[in-house]
Amino acid sequence: MDEFQEILQDFLVESFELVEQLDQDLVELENNPQDLELLNRIFRVAHTVKGASSFLNFDVLTYLTHHMEDVLNKARHGDLIIDADIMDVILESIDLMKALLVIIRDSSSDGGVDVSACVSRLDKCTGGSGKTEPPVAQEAPVVEKIEVKESAEDDEIDYENMDENELEAEIERLLQQRQEEDRVKREAKSSSTEDQTEDDTQDDADEPLVPISKAPVAVTPSPRPASIDYDSDSSDDAKAAAPTKKASTVEQTIRVDVKRLDHLMNLIGELVLAKNRLIKINDDVEERYEGEGFLEELNQVVSIVSLVTTDLQIAVMKTRMLPIGKVFNKFPRMIRDLSRELNKKIELEIFGEDTELDKSIVEEVGDPLVHIIRNSCDHGIETPDVRAGQGKSETGTIKLKAYNEGNQIVIQIDDDGKGLDAGLLKSKSLEKGVITRKEAENMSDKEAFTLIFKPGFSMAAKVTNVSGRGVGMDVVKTNIEKLNGIIDIDSELGVGTSIKLKIPLTLAIIQALLVGVQEEHYAIPLASVLETVRISTDEVYTVEGRSVMRLREDVLPLVHIGDIFEVERILDSSEYAYVVVLGLGTSKLGLIVDTLVGQEEIVIKSLGEFLKGIEGIAGATIRGDGGVTLIVDVVAIMDMAKHVKTSAIADSNSDSALLMREKTKASDYTVMIVDDSKTDRMIMRKSLEPLGVTLVEAGDGQEALGILKQGSHNFDAMLIDIEMPRMDGYTLATEIKKYNRYKNLPLIAVTSRTGKSDRMRGVESGMIEYITKPYSADYLSSVVQRNINFRSEFL
Amino acid sequence: MSEKLKQIISKQNKVDEDINHSEDIVQLVGFIIGDEEYAIPILAIQEIIKPFPWTRVPQVPKYIVGVFNMRGAVIPLIDLRLKFGLNPKKHNEDTRFIVMRHGDDVAGFVIDRLTMAIRIKKSRIGPAPETVNGDDTLIDGVGKQEDKIITILKVNKLLERDF
Repeated sequence: MDEFQEILQDFLVESFELVEQLDQDLVELENNPQDLELLNRIFRVAHTVKGASSFLNFDVLTYLTHHMEDVLNKARHGDLIIDADIMDVILESIDLMKALLVIIRDSSSDGGVDVSACVSRLDKCTGGSGKTEPPVAQEAPVVEKIEVKESAEDDEIDYENMDENELEAEIERLLQQRQEEDRVKREAKSSSTEDQTEDDTQDDADEPLVPISKAPVAVTPSPRPASIDYDSDSSDDAKAAAPTKKASTVEQTIRVDVKRLDHLMNLIGELVLAKNRLIKINDDVEERYEGEGFLEELNQVVSIVSLVTTDLQIAVMKTRMLPIGKVFNKFPRMIRDLSRELNKKIELEIFGEDTELDKSIVEEVGDPLVHIIRNSCDHGIETPDVRAGQGKSETGTIKLKAYNEGNQIVIQIDDDGKGLDAGLLKSKSLEKGVITRKEAENMSDKEAFTLIFKPGFSMAAKVTNVSGRGVGMDVVKTNIEKLNGIIDIDSELGVGTSIKLKIPLTLAIIQALLVGVQEEHYAIPLASVLETVRISTDEVYTVEGRSVMRLREDVLPLVHIGDIFEVERILDSSEYAYVVVLGLGTSKLGLIVDTLVGQEEIVIKSLGEFLKGIEGIAGATIRGDGGVTLIVDVVAIMDMAKHVKTSAIADSNSDSALLMREKTKASDYTVMIVDDSKTDRMIMRKSLEPLGVTLVEAGDGQEALGILKQGSHNFDAMLIDIEMPRMDGYTLATEIKKYNRYKNLPLIAVTSRTGKSDRMRGVESGMIEYITKPYSADYLSSVVQRNINFRSEFL
Repeated sequence: MSEKLKQIISKQNKVDEDINHSEDIVQLVGFIIGDEEYAIPILAIQEIIKPFPWTRVPQVPKYIVGVFNMRGAVIPLIDLRLKFGLNPKKHNEDTRFIVMRHGDDVAGFVIDRLTMAIRIKKSRIGPAPETVNGDDTLIDGVGKQEDKIITILKVNKLLERDF
C-alpha cells in the first residue's frame, strides 16, 4: 500500500511538472513547427507519462497518451506538419491529460473522463482522413512507428497491446521465473557461508513481495492477481533508479515535504522572537552596568546571534522560494487560446521568470494574474483592424514582468491596448451605483482607474466567456491585499495600461512600525507606512465632521487609532500628536497615535480560530518582553476609518463627572496617604480619622500609582510625602497629572523639606498645598477639609 | 531491597487496576466562579497558571479580556465571571488561568479560585437540569458529592466562538 502510494506520488509530481513544461513548449512549437528539439521534448513527455501510467494501470490515461504519442511521433519524423488545427487537438488532449492526472491525484483511479472523442480526433490527424496530412505518409509512418517503439521503449509497452489474458499469462510467467531465481539463490546461499552483504540484498529482494502484493487490492478493488504490481515494481525500480541517479548529479536538488519547511520557518520565527528579546535585555543591561568590562563581550555575542539569526532566516526563506516562472508558464497557452477565441492577435512577452518568491505567495498570485491578463486581452487589446486603423501594429503585446524592488517583488502587466478612459469609468460606475456623484467629482484619474477593482463593476457591454461579470478584478484586489500587497495602476488612453502588483517577499516575518496609544501598543506593517509626521493639535482641521490635516499639497483624512480600537482615554494627550501616513495604492490615511515606539522585525502569529476575523486586526506578534502586540490590518483600517465617529479631542468631562458624585456621608470622601514611614502614615491617619473619611495608605509612589490605576476608589485628595523609595513625590505627582480623570485631584505635599526650591518643584509637579513637618493635627485636618470641600454637617 | 520495591510497585499497580476495573471513574478539576462550584474533566486541561499580563483585543464581547502569550502561542483569555453574567472582580491571590484544550482549540479562562481534583464515579453524574437542556447549554451534567453538587461544564462549548 505504502509503496504503491509512494510510486503514485512520484508519478504525479513528475507528470504535473512535465505537463506544465508541455504547455509552453507546444505554444512555441506552433511558431516553430520545424524545431526538432522541441518536438522531441514534447514527444518524450507523452511517452514518459504513457509509460508510467501503464505501470500503474491507468488505462484511460495510457490510451490517451498513446494516441498523442502517435501524432507527435509522426510530426517528429517530419511526416506531419503541425498547424493550428492539429495543435488545437493536441492541446485539447493535453487538457484531458491534466484532468485525468487531477482525478488520479484525488481518487487514485482514472475513471470519469471520456477521452474517446479526443482520441478519435487525434487518430484523424495520423490517419488518412487527416486533411493536412501528406498522402505519401500513409503507410510509412505506421511501420516506422512500430520500429521506433520497439527500439525506444521497454517491454512494458508491449503489455499495452496484449489483452487481459495474455497479460496475466505473461505476468505469471515472469513471476515464476523470478521466484525460481530467488529460490536458486537462496539455496545457494544456505549451502555456502557467505558474507552479510549478500544476505542484505537477498532480504531486499524478498521484501517487496509482501507489502506490494497488497497494494492493488487496497487501491483498486479489481480481483487481479497481486503479481502485477510485483512485476511492474521490479521493472520500475530498475528503470527509475537510473534516471534519478543521473538527475541528482545534474541538478543537485532534494525534494522536501513542504510541511518540514513550514516547521522550519516556524522555528525560525521563534528564534527571531528570542533574538528580539535578547536585544532588549542587552539594552537594559547596558543601561544598568554602563562602562563595565563584560559589556563589550556581551554586545559581541548578541550582535553575532542577531546577525546569524537574520542570515538563517533569509536562508530558510530562500529554501521556500520558487521561481515565478511556475505561474508564468501557463500564460502563453492562455493567451493563445484567448486570442483565437477573441479573434485578436496577441503576443505575450515574459521577463524575469526566474524571480523568486515564497511558495505560499506563488500559489496565491496565479489567480489574480489570470484575471488581469484575461482583462487585458478582452478589454485592453483591440481587434486587428482597429489597431491597424490607429496606426498600431496588428498584433497587440502583453508584457509580463517580474522583478525585485527592495524587499518587495513587483509583477508588472503592461499592454499596448486602448488604455483606460477615466471619464468613462466614472460614468459607468455612477450608472451601476458603485460610487456617488460627489465621489466621482472629487476623483483623480488615478483613483478612477482603481474603480475597475470594485465588485460589481464591469466595462463589458455584454457578459462573455472571457469577462464581463464584474467579479474577476475584485478577486484580484482581495487576493493581493490578502498577501499584504499593493496594486498600482497606470494608463494612457490609446497607448496602453500598466498594472503593478507589489507583494512582500514573505508572509511570515515582516518589518513593522510599533506605535503606542495610551498604554497599548500596535504594530503596523512597514510596507504600508509612507511616512510619519509630528503635528500640533491645532493643525488638525475638521471638515464635514471629519478630522483632516494638510500634508504638503494634499489634504489627509485623519483618524485616531484609539477611536478605531476603542481605547479608553486615561492618559491626557499632549499637545503634539504623531501621524502615521498609511498608503494603500492611491488611497492615503493619517493614523493619529500617541507615541512612535520604533521599527521591529515581527513574526506574524494567527489569533486562532476563536478570535479570527476581528475587524482591523491582521494577527498578533510576541514582543521582546514576552507580551503580545496586535498587528494592524491596514486594508481594514482604511475602510473602518470611514465609519468611525471622530472624537479626536478626548472629552474628559465624563470622567470628572464620575468623581463629583454626590457625597451623602463622611465616609464617601476618600483620601490617600502616601508615605514610606509607617509612623508618619499613622500620624496622618490619627489626624484625619475624627473626620470620618475613608483612608487608603500607600508605602511609596509606585504603590500609590498602582492603586490609582486600579480605579477601585474615587479619591478626593492625596497626601504625598516627597522623600520615598522607588518613586518620589514629585514624580508621582507628575505621573498622576497625566491622567485625565485625576487632573483636578488635589495633591497635598507633606514633607520635612522646607527649602524654597523644594516648594517650587512641588508646584511645578502639580501639588497645590505644601505642609511642612511637623504639623498640628488640626492644621492637617483643616487643609484636607478645605481641599475636598468637606461639608461641615458631617462632623 | 529490590524485592521490596517490586512488591510496592506491584501493589500500586494493583490499586490502579482496581480502580480502573471497578467502575468508570471521571477525574475532574473543580473551581469557583462567583458562589458556584464548577468542574471540567482533568484531561481537557492543558495547564493551570497564575495570572500574568495580557493584551486587550478590540471589538470583541466584554468577557473576552484579551490574548496572552503562552510559550510562543497567542491564546485568547476569557473571563468566566463575565461570561456567566457576574460582575467583574479584581484578580487576587487565588485567581488562576485555566488553559483548556479541545482538539485544536485552546483558550485560557479566568476563574476565581481552584478547589480540588475530584474523582467521581460516572454513575454519580446526572444530566443537566431539564430547564437548561438543549444544544446551547454549557452544562454537561451535574456531579453529586456527599455534601454538595458540582456543575460539570462542556469544554467544547466553552471553546466555541459565540459572537
